[in-house]
Amino acid sequence: MKTDLEFSDLRKGDTFAEFPLSVTADEVLAYLDATGESPAIWTQHVPPLFLDALVVAELLAQVTIPKGVMHTGQEHESHRAARIDEVLTVRMGVAALSEKRGVTLAAFEADLRDAAGEPVTTMRISVMVAPDGVTV
Amino acid sequence: MTAPQVPSVTRRIEQDRVDRYAVAGRDPNPIHRETPEAYAGPFGRPAAHGMILLAMVSEAMGAAFGLAWAETGSFKVRWRSPALPPVTVTASATLKKDQDGLATYEVVVQDEHGETLLTGTAAARYA
Repeated sequence: MKTDLEFSDLRKGDTFAEFPLSVTADEVLAYLDATGESPAIWTQHVPPLFLDALVVAELLAQVTIPKGVMHTGQEHESHRAARIDEVLTVRMGVAALSEKRGVTLAAFEADLRDAAGEPVTTMRISVMVAPDGVTV
Repeated sequence: MTAPQVPSVTRRIEQDRVDRYAVAGRDPNPIHRETPEAYAGPFGRPAAHGMILLAMVSEAMGAAFGLAWAETGSFKVRWRSPALPPVTVTASATLKKDQDGLATYEVVVQDEHGETLLTGTAAARYA
């Protein structure tokens, strides 16, 4: 299990400590205010992309991300809708890691499950890290 | 039943929206805000979070599918260029495949100059 990591310490197959994730109604409203989406259909459930955003935030909290990082891609599959205030458990790990000419490509996969252990959402976060001073 | 048409979503992205997203989305990266790091960074000024653009795709799919988007939806996207506020962006979806109640769309987000900022696919069940 990994916590408080430097990006350069990561290896493919590493896993992070599981963490709980739940979203309040106020947090949903603040998120929708920021994105501009109407809250009409999100009175009892969490907008699916908000789950991705919060997992990305946790990744940023657990790993010291170097300058030059870019979030290049995102994949998501919903297995069911997450309910507001529901506590999910997130398992996340390093799915891919490669380096070419100083540019590092990494992908993180996260699996969100409910209290019964049933899948709610899976996602894949792709990032690219260029060396300092390089714009790609 | 047939696959629903997904409406386009157009939105003006100003810096204050980006600042609100930094708090709500818990992404305080200084390259998205009015900071020295943003002006010294690769874009020479703050860039909107890519997740704000992707949220517009999610909003469009939610408008077409309702809660089924959260229950059965999936997407796979890549960001192609940064959105530099103030900028007006449009997310749109074109039906690519409709089979056995699963509708798959090509999705794209472009700015007002026609530059492509995000591409990918999104899918959901309607039956």
